[in-house]
Amino acid sequence: MKDYKKKFSKTKNKLFMFKLSQIISFVSLCCMMILINTQAACQGSSIDFLRSTGKIYTVVIVIAVIFIGIVIYLYRLDHKLTKLENQIKNEQ
Amino acid sequence: MNIIKVKDIFIKELSVEFRQKFALGGIFLFAATVVFIIYKSFNNINPREWTILLWIIMLFAGLNAVVKSFLQEKKETYLYYYTLFDPVDLMIAKLLYNFVFLIFLFCMILGFMTIFSGFPVKLPGLFVSGSVLGILGIAIVFTFVSVISAADNTNATLMSILALPLVLPIVMLLLKISAVSVRLLSDTSVNEDVMLLAGVDSVLLGAMLLLFPSLWRS
Amino acid sequence: MIKIKGLWWKALGAIIFLYVLIGGMTVPLNSGITYTNPSNAKTGQRIVMEVTGYNTHFKSALQNRAWLKADSSHFIQATSVQQNDEMHVLLHFDLPFTMPSKEKVQPLTLIIDNEIDGAFVQPNALFVTVSDSLQNDLSQWQTLQLGSLNKKSGLTFPYRNILNETIRNTFFHVALWFAMFILLIIGLYHAIQYLRTGIYDHDIQSATINKVAIMYGVFGLITGSIWAKFTWNTFWTTDVKLNMTAVAMLIYLAYLVLRGASTDTDRRAKLSASYSIFAFLALIPLVFVIPRLTDSLHPGNGGNPALGGEDLDNTLRLFFYPSIIALVLLGMWMSQLKIRYERLQEKIFQNQK
Repeated sequence: MKDYKKKFSKTKNKLFMFKLSQIISFVSLCCMMILINTQAACQGSSIDFLRSTGKIYTVVIVIAVIFIGIVIYLYRLDHKLTKLENQIKNEQ
Repeated sequence: MNIIKVKDIFIKELSVEFRQKFALGGIFLFAATVVFIIYKSFNNINPREWTILLWIIMLFAGLNAVVKSFLQEKKETYLYYYTLFDPVDLMIAKLLYNFVFLIFLFCMILGFMTIFSGFPVKLPGLFVSGSVLGILGIAIVFTFVSVISAADNTNATLMSILALPLVLPIVMLLLKISAVSVRLLSDTSVNEDVMLLAGVDSVLLGAMLLLFPSLWRS
Repeated sequence: MIKIKGLWWKALGAIIFLYVLIGGMTVPLNSGITYTNPSNAKTGQRIVMEVTGYNTHFKSALQNRAWLKADSSHFIQATSVQQNDEMHVLLHFDLPFTMPSKEKVQPLTLIIDNEIDGAFVQPNALFVTVSDSLQNDLSQWQTLQLGSLNKKSGLTFPYRNILNETIRNTFFHVALWFAMFILLIIGLYHAIQYLRTGIYDHDIQSATINKVAIMYGVFGLITGSIWAKFTWNTFWTTDVKLNMTAVAMLIYLAYLVLRGASTDTDRRAKLSASYSIFAFLALIPLVFVIPRLTDSLHPGNGGNPALGGEDLDNTLRLFFYPSIIALVLLGMWMSQLKIRYERLQEKIFQNQK
């Protein structure tokens, strides 16, 4: 019974972590969008960082988005594999 | 393909439809009500809104109507059909029925729109050819999607989720053609659009004919 | 599908992508002109034009020359060129009284040339209003041998006015779309194979590759709207290609919904395979035919970078095509990992039964 409870809480914890990771990735994406937007909004008053030096930072952001996307994909795959590993372990 | 069998199924569909008068009446009531609401809220409708509203009402009323065509029948009926007909025959009959029904519905909506807010079409030939081709495309997509959602035993929600995005390219072409036909745009390449619509229709029809038998078996 | 064994193609994908990343970010941009003042003048005026360049070397160059061009055989050379620093230059022009053509307002193209940066142009740099004069004397106009202009040495990307450095996004944003299409075609192949043979493994492959392709599509939309924000100042434009791809993404998101909706694996496989074939066919007019019929901000129309003769420069090609290949290989790698996971899960599921 105790063992079962432990296992249950463990899986619950994992689920929570997974949801958390999803939420974090979503929120970070939102933050980035807001950041870009505010950067764009205050272009008159201050130097528009993303538009400086021939808009090179736009390219940097584009590459960063692709990279972050791929990392999120890998992270989720990693998570799924861990679950599968545990499943196999439990069966044995 | 057996034309007599196609005709038989077609007639059977029609008679089933006319037996269930409440369903038929429901769809027409839906169309009339929507047109009336729009008329009351816009008061006078300019040609741009007219074309957009026409197709949006058409889309949703059509979706409502076609959902039934495959969902109304039970699994046992399908099994019975399966022993009786060639899948291609059945599909063509269903498609034909949906097409005729949608055309009928379209004429109805057009009639209501004309009564309430006039008829701004300046190039009737283009309008009719574009509409008929477009409705054929819509009928193909709706029939295909209703086959999928019927095979999946799920409700009508899946059907509308699948059908609306698929039908979007056709509706976009249609909106352009009808905008030209009410002289909102002047476009010399509109014939190309009509040809494109015909092309899309034939490609989708071909795909459906190829895919239907394998779907049907499930 | 051809069974590609081993690690080499994954390494190849990574190496090519590294090449694109390094090359695409380090190759300098051609010199260009970002700002000219004044932009209007009258015939017969003597004007001093203030020019700001981009990536230019006015000060270190031995000889800066400048012309205003009316058409291919009518040029005026600047009487003197004053360079303040590397980026700024003052050009003195004596505008002639008569213009080669009859129109009231005529645009002139500015050409600047030196031995470090080569020759570069700014179209419509100066609009000249023809003032009333009865003279009809074109003798002030000169001709210019294009052979006498310098060429910049080394690899450079073309300079375009609003795009500036973001032309490098061609390797990332545009290549993403192409990679997405290639992946969708591979997914389609597996869907057809599934319907033909009924081997469940094809369904796994088709679904996973399609999912990676959809992921690329979402990246494409995000990166595209970031790019649009800094070139056209909106996240979303009424551009046809953009909206069509948005519709395409909707269609494929419906594919995901369909896969999520049914629980019976066999039926799900059959339905989603048919749907993906149907969806791909519905997509073809959407992405390839309709945008060609209407104006677009995108590739091929309105002087934007991408495919099509002049627009895709040879140096861009040097990185653009490898980028597509690299993204496809990386996408296949990612989907292969997922496919192996799905296969394992399937095996465990079978064992349990």
